[in-house]
Amino acid sequence: MFKDLNPILHSQLRLAVISLLISVKEAEFTFLKEKTNATAGNLSVQIQKLKEAGYIDVIKQFKDNYPQTICKITPQGVNAFSEYVKSLQTYLGQK
Amino acid sequence: MDQQEKQLTEKESLELIATMINTAKNSYHDTGIGAIMWGALIAVCSLVKLAEMEFGFRLPFDINLIFILAVIPQIFITIKEKKERRVKSYADSYMDYIWLGFGICIILLTFIVYSMFSVWRPVSEEYRELTGHRSAFQLSEFISPFFLLLYGLPTFITGAACKFRPMFWGGLFCWLCSVTAIYTTIKIDLLLMAASAIMAWLIPGILMEREYRIYKKEQASPDV
Repeated sequence: MFKDLNPILHSQLRLAVISLLISVKEAEFTFLKEKTNATAGNLSVQIQKLKEAGYIDVIKQFKDNYPQTICKITPQGVNAFSEYVKSLQTYLGQK
Repeated sequence: MDQQEKQLTEKESLELIATMINTAKNSYHDTGIGAIMWGALIAVCSLVKLAEMEFGFRLPFDINLIFILAVIPQIFITIKEKKERRVKSYADSYMDYIWLGFGICIILLTFIVYSMFSVWRPVSEEYRELTGHRSAFQLSEFISPFFLLLYGLPTFITGAACKFRPMFWGGLFCWLCSVTAIYTTIKIDLLLMAASAIMAWLIPGILMEREYRIYKKEQASPDV
């Protein structure tokens, strides 16, 4: 019996964001936007969903008088990502 | 990426994860400016010292004082690089501490060396007065290996951790020169110092700077 894939992560943009954040300590919103080629609005919505799920921390601050948003993955996010990858591997291995 | 939440197949998900992880890994490039500056500075200072000994002239100031002045541009370079950095890797924090620790070690070693010389010089002069010739043991001949040993450590760690081969080999080269310098005269030691600075920092720095420029150009060009 296959485990259900985590619906929060099983979406293109959210998975892309989590995959980027798993490899780094923290990243700016502009970096995530550039690497995912997403629009600012769509990215903000998906980041908010990840934040609500407790998978990422979002820090809003000012840098040189400009607003700056920094995202970093939480331990809960790391666990969820790890579980998600395991489920994918199980699924693909038994397909 | 699509505005809509596109549902992925399992295979697509794994491919996306791999792509994004690789993208994140390749997204940070050091400007190489600091490495170029220190590599060039140490090489030039060592060669000037060598020229002073070889051709019997003396500059009106100690060339090594330039190192203290070079700390000022280094602080600006570090602040500028940190400001431009939009992503922070796990390795970045460790690297910052390793190079800070290296800087502290160099300052402490310089202090230790000066303290040793202040004790050694009167003993050496007394020996010369009593015997009429210089002591066969010259403390200055054994200073370079310690500095070269230190030069190698952060360079080797950075090269290995960041998978940047030129620095990895540069670090090993410093250690090789460190051992060699035990058996060579001070003039050769200075040549080894210059060679180490070029191999460990100047050349890797130039390569880093070139990679950084290519990366910046790629970032600036619009996607087709």
